[in-house]
Amino acid sequence: MRLFDWLRPSALPLADAHRERLARLPGPAPLNEHSLRAQRWVVLDLETSGLNVNRDQVLSIGAVAIEDAAIDFRQQFERTLYRPSQKTNPSVLIHGLGPSALAAGCDPAQALLDLMEFIGDSPILAFHAPFDQRMLARSLKASLGYRLQHLFIDVAELAPLLNPGVVLREAGLDDWIAHFGLDVQARHHASADAQVTAELALILFSQARRQELDSPLQLEQRLQRWRRRKDPGYGL
Amino acid sequence: MSKKDAYTQAGKTAVLQNIQGTLHFLQRFPPFNQMEQSHLAYLVEECQLRFYAAGESIIKPVDGPVEHFFIVKQGRVVGERQPVAGTGIETTFEITGGECFPLAALLGERATRTEHLAGEDTFCLRLNKAAFIRVFSMSDAFRDFALRGVSSLLDQVNQQVQRRAAETLGTQYSLNTPLGELAMRHPVACGPDTPLRDAVRQMHEQQVGSIVIVDGQRFPIGIFTLRDLREVVADPSAELTAPVSRHMTASPFFLGPTATAFDGAMAMTERHIAHVCLVENQRLCGVVSERDLFSLQRVDLVHLARTIRHAPRLDTLVSLRGEIGQLVDRMLAHGASSTQITQIITLLNDHTVSRVIELALTERGDPGIRFSWMCFGSEGRREQTLHTDQDNGILFEAQDATEADAIRERLLPLAHYINQCLAQCGFSLCNGNIMAGNPELCLSRVEWARRFAAFVREATPENLLGSSIYFDLRVVWGDEQACEQLRRQILEQVAGNRLFQRMMAENALRQRPPVGRFREFVLTRQGTDKAATLDLKVQGLTPFVDGARLLALANGIGASNTLERLRQLVAKAVIDPLDGAAFEEAYHFIQQTRMQQHQRQTRDNLPYSNRVDPDSLNHLDRRILRESLRQAQRLQSSLALRYQL
Repeated sequence: MRLFDWLRPSALPLADAHRERLARLPGPAPLNEHSLRAQRWVVLDLETSGLNVNRDQVLSIGAVAIEDAAIDFRQQFERTLYRPSQKTNPSVLIHGLGPSALAAGCDPAQALLDLMEFIGDSPILAFHAPFDQRMLARSLKASLGYRLQHLFIDVAELAPLLNPGVVLREAGLDDWIAHFGLDVQARHHASADAQVTAELALILFSQARRQELDSPLQLEQRLQRWRRRKDPGYGL
Repeated sequence: MSKKDAYTQAGKTAVLQNIQGTLHFLQRFPPFNQMEQSHLAYLVEECQLRFYAAGESIIKPVDGPVEHFFIVKQGRVVGERQPVAGTGIETTFEITGGECFPLAALLGERATRTEHLAGEDTFCLRLNKAAFIRVFSMSDAFRDFALRGVSSLLDQVNQQVQRRAAETLGTQYSLNTPLGELAMRHPVACGPDTPLRDAVRQMHEQQVGSIVIVDGQRFPIGIFTLRDLREVVADPSAELTAPVSRHMTASPFFLGPTATAFDGAMAMTERHIAHVCLVENQRLCGVVSERDLFSLQRVDLVHLARTIRHAPRLDTLVSLRGEIGQLVDRMLAHGASSTQITQIITLLNDHTVSRVIELALTERGDPGIRFSWMCFGSEGRREQTLHTDQDNGILFEAQDATEADAIRERLLPLAHYINQCLAQCGFSLCNGNIMAGNPELCLSRVEWARRFAAFVREATPENLLGSSIYFDLRVVWGDEQACEQLRRQILEQVAGNRLFQRMMAENALRQRPPVGRFREFVLTRQGTDKAATLDLKVQGLTPFVDGARLLALANGIGASNTLERLRQLVAKAVIDPLDGAAFEEAYHFIQQTRMQQHQRQTRDNLPYSNRVDPDSLNHLDRRILRESLRQAQRLQSSLALRYQL
């Protein structure tokens, strides 16, 4: 690791306090066979400057914790990141974060540390998780030199897996929101999107339990099988 | 603000985003819309959002004392209870978005009595008991709501009704004010031996219209009023030195100081008196005069009743009808409930009918036959609104069929004339010809008895319909004895005829309350109507009226008023007290909604209609209407169970 330090483009010197906190961060816990209810989950949504996972930046983070099979309003996470260099580009129309909001945001390193402390060792749920996973991994690396190893479960896969009867092609979050008649307060706002994704997750967990998939491990295994069946080339 | 604080602040406002969203959602519903923002924010922050799939149990009696407070965020929660008697499951209530549960169990620190299930996929906000107690102690609005439970919702509606009516009339005076508060002055009283002159001097000095004559224990034994003084003055033999007891009206009517202004007004109207004594612990504590009660009103009930009773001509009665409408408007403004108003309308209508009969007798000549004027249907139940038609008949005594025919022949022209006069006074002629002028409804007691017995014996559809009209009978004018005999006979026959009861139950189930399992209301579109509507009378009130009639007749209850029947059914343990109260409240609310609509229609010069578009009601009214209709549904399912339909 040290060897490649010089490769990092922006090796910001971390404050001591940050370094200590970073050292204390727990790694991800392996998925277990406890019930879904016993597992704490973090539902994540990122608003980014665009869809390019190699170039675009994380602008804001919303996260909601699911604990004891409920969304706990005391455990809500939301940060807008300080991105002074962020120019107004078309995606402002989607996330609604103008330069002024971003300039008022907090230090990305600080925010990301807060987030990782919030996540703890919990597995992460997100809609189109691979995107959030890669964006977050890159940001963590850049700001904190931290390697993200947490397991991500994609709600966009979980939903069709548990609802085989529902034919929704390339269904987006909005389609599932509409399908389950969920009520969204403000779409494309990281915390509101995380919230509605979490509501979706509660429904899906309830369905999973009824389909006798009552542990995080079983759920993940079923997802892997489902992916292979759906796309035999997946993961090879 | 330091940079760090600024960051924390930015973080904080952002965290509030989801809380804020939930806050906004809750602020659409009572009591949350009345709570202070900070209290509500605390409540939301302490909540969990949980999902319950359709059919999933949320809390049930075996869970033990309730540990959480729930607010439905989305979906529907149903309460299911196993009835004490019988089998099967009974849905007792429905809770939807913005509503909360289980208040009574939570406050009573006990288990819920009803299993709460998700009626469809449902999200609930769940607050733990510690946080609930915290909010309960912080927020007055929340505490008030929690303590009064669902009935506080109903109170709010009543407050709204009063406010709305008060806006058109501009007064805050309430008919529910205790009489003790209205009679503030010290009552003017004297002993029975006081000379008349001294008594009158006392009245004059105190500027009052009456003096109460009390015994040594200050119990009222008589009252002397200006009206009595007029008689004294007119009487040449009267001596002003004589004791006042010689000219007083003995045994004056009295009420307790906690009786309401409404009670006082009703007593004055019924008894044609202008003063009511207030007595507490057998001692006189006040006097309320007609003026005290109606000082703020131009149209007064007592005066109106008296004018009707003494109207010299039919024209006068016709012109007085408009004043009854105005009076109802005022009563509504003064906080009268629908029950009070239907009572007043019935009372004034009774006076009008009696006066019409008296005028007809004078005009057409008294046939010299004793008869009673009976009424049926809503008039018989004392549940008339301004929008009313005639359902009446004549009852007389006759030795045999020949004599009955002879009497009928003489009474029919008079009855027909009375029907026509009543029509002029605003009682529309009955489409079904249920009127005393119809030879089939001008019968001797024996003929009526035979006719009613046939209703019970041969349960044809016509007879069932007939029983639902005629068995709500009452005498408006004339002797009441014969009618009571008929009633006793009906009760005996119905009690002994299970088949008839069953047919009546079937009949009572015909009108299904318009609430659906999944939709708020089941509405129908009439003709060219723009909006789909429901019928408050037929679909809302009729199930209660039919249900209460059947149960009352089957259980020997002679009352004909629906609410009175329900009360007596509770007293006889035929229905559960909680159910009885819920039915009463629901009936009351539907009737109130209907009467407000009638008042509005009158103001806007629209024809009367009982059809209402629920979307035209405000949010609160709509929810309570739905809940009220659901109570009608419950009454029906209890009938279905009782009669195994």
